[in-house]
Amino acid sequence: MELFDLFNYALGIRALIASVLVGLMCGVLGCFIVLRNMSLVGDALAHAVLPGVVVGFIVGGAGVLAIFTGAVVAGLLTAICITWIQHNVKTKNDAAIGIVFTAMFSIGVMWISKVAREGAHLDLDHFLFGNVLGLSNSDLYLTAGITVYVLLSVVLFYRYLFATTFQPVIAETMGISVRAIHYYLMLLLSFAVVASMQAVGVILVVAMLITPASTALLLTNRLKYMLLISAIIGVLASVIGLMITDFYNTTPGPAMAVTATLFYLLAVFFAPQKGLLFKFLYKRKIRKRIQFEDTLKQTLKLHERSSLSLPNLKERLGFNLNTLKYNLNLLARKGLVRQSSGTLAITSEGIKQATRLVRAHRLWETYLVQEMSMDAGQIHEEAEIYEHVLTDELLDEIEANLSYPKLDPHGAPIPQNDYQPDKSLSSLSIDTVAEVAENQLNSYLVTRLWQLGIGHDESFKVMSKTEDFIEIKIDDELVKVPVTLADKINVET
Amino acid sequence: MGAISIKGLSVSYDRKTVLTNIYMDLAAGELYGVLGPNGAGKSTLFKAILGLIPVNTGQVLINGEPIDNQRKKMVYIPQKGEIDWQFPATVMDVVMMGRYPFKRILQRLNGQDKNIAMQALRDMGIDQLKDRQIGELSGGQQQRVFIARALCQQADIFLMDEPFVGVDIKTEQKIVEILKTLRKSGKTILVIHHDLSKVHDYFDKVILLNQWLVACGDTEEVFTEENINRAYRGQLNILHKTMLH
Repeated sequence: MELFDLFNYALGIRALIASVLVGLMCGVLGCFIVLRNMSLVGDALAHAVLPGVVVGFIVGGAGVLAIFTGAVVAGLLTAICITWIQHNVKTKNDAAIGIVFTAMFSIGVMWISKVAREGAHLDLDHFLFGNVLGLSNSDLYLTAGITVYVLLSVVLFYRYLFATTFQPVIAETMGISVRAIHYYLMLLLSFAVVASMQAVGVILVVAMLITPASTALLLTNRLKYMLLISAIIGVLASVIGLMITDFYNTTPGPAMAVTATLFYLLAVFFAPQKGLLFKFLYKRKIRKRIQFEDTLKQTLKLHERSSLSLPNLKERLGFNLNTLKYNLNLLARKGLVRQSSGTLAITSEGIKQATRLVRAHRLWETYLVQEMSMDAGQIHEEAEIYEHVLTDELLDEIEANLSYPKLDPHGAPIPQNDYQPDKSLSSLSIDTVAEVAENQLNSYLVTRLWQLGIGHDESFKVMSKTEDFIEIKIDDELVKVPVTLADKINVET
Repeated sequence: MGAISIKGLSVSYDRKTVLTNIYMDLAAGELYGVLGPNGAGKSTLFKAILGLIPVNTGQVLINGEPIDNQRKKMVYIPQKGEIDWQFPATVMDVVMMGRYPFKRILQRLNGQDKNIAMQALRDMGIDQLKDRQIGELSGGQQQRVFIARALCQQADIFLMDEPFVGVDIKTEQKIVEILKTLRKSGKTILVIHHDLSKVHDYFDKVILLNQWLVACGDTEEVFTEENINRAYRGQLNILHKTMLH
């Protein structure tokens, strides 16, 4: 087997070590590139180091350090040019990036071709797509040195990277130089590109930077875990990519990039919470709950008309028989309905829960008409969905904001909770002086009163009463209180 | 000498003047509402106080000293829309940022910093949420996170840019309560605010801006119809509807 042969040779071992280092370094650094929305800049820098490589080659005679220096200088120069154009010329930000890096890359390619024609040992392909199997020991030392430097920088300057990435303006107010951190990151990025050039080539470095990081971002909500996961995926992608290379006798860089993409696709589908499968299952769960609750609600409605039977229920819901039986069995198991030999009945607990759904539906419809000024004809569909997701707390809040309406926009009664205050505002007769009690139904009612300018412990006088409103005088101001709200306000005389 | 003292401040962007010859002296331990129409230079005033933008002329002194000496005494709480809520940061990560200004360049955060951050979280009643990602919080909780960070930074001066945008009325009232408590403990708080109907309830002092300083002082004295009209010239009709109910 070739794999066995490969790893028996020093070249194979060197290739493996270099791949691990590159995966690790790019995985970590890539997180900041992705979070700063700088993926395109990463790609640009990778391409733009090429002319620097040629200069290094010519001046330093193919020495590893000369090429390294040339590439880093070219990378930084590119970063400076891009930022300068973005700040001083009226060119779109991403266009500025595109213009600079394609120019640099083209100069590099033309130059390499020329130098190569003149007989120098410089292979364009190796720069573009890597040559991990042709690494020398000094290449490996350089890669290792750079990796240690980059990782150490991230650890030591972690909080500066975090602060300037998350909230640059705040970082600036704390005395952190956002610009210095930006250029330091560009320096690290140039280092990483040069170190990866041999392993994956300049065209695909960006894949090693952004694919593992984006995968990690799908898997976690914490930066520290993101760095760790991205590093692991980076290493796995490069090692597996290298094995694929050996097995299928193909080019290492693309094999690593494709492997990284496979990890990404796995995360897209199977990531917990952010993955598509999770979202699909969640939606299905909601759909099932809606079916279940609809069955319960329609059971109550038929029960109220004394026409509860399986065929009637089936007609109202429009479910097929299996779905209906499944949902009824579920309801029976929860003690909400009783089924025996073809007869169907709703239990008292079933009535209670179904009433809650009716209340949610009608309150939401009322809210849409009164607060959102929607037309009564077009709100039913929306309420059909929202009745399943509104929490009790939210319902209490909506109810208080609407001043405890008794009827929905279609004139149907809204089921009320049976709360009655000890002494309600509406029970007071004209000219009575009273105080709003401290003890009220819930905090939403208190807020509603606050909005009307009625604080507790404030005394007021009842001025007039009509069918819809009670007018009270509080702090010399007249306030009109809807009667339905007044019914729920607890007062002390 | 006040907490913030501004003398003859002028700022312009792209040759367009945003703030002209502003003089004001803001007392410590007060809660100021910063009011004015769009483009009045409210955010620019904040940026100038924070030393984030170059000024044409004039001087800003914080506690009687140049900005650079007092940087960590000031905190800026940006608008909700300026923050990437999907960012992989937890509540604790954000609050711990308040300790950064106290650290030398390679110094690590330690247990004491953590204790201070925890205390700030408890003060804001969000210590239970410390491991939540910031996007998973309600609007009110998000505001508390940033106030907690300010407490953690032991800042004296709070600059808040429209903290009530996107939060419900109940939360808004709670935040106002928190701000009033902070003021009692000696903090100076400036709040950019839009809803003129709440000014009397929320602020003891107001700053009315419209590129120049219209008025600055006690709400009772300064927040008059005349001053409001001067600040909101040309927008009178809209104002009459919202203000004079």
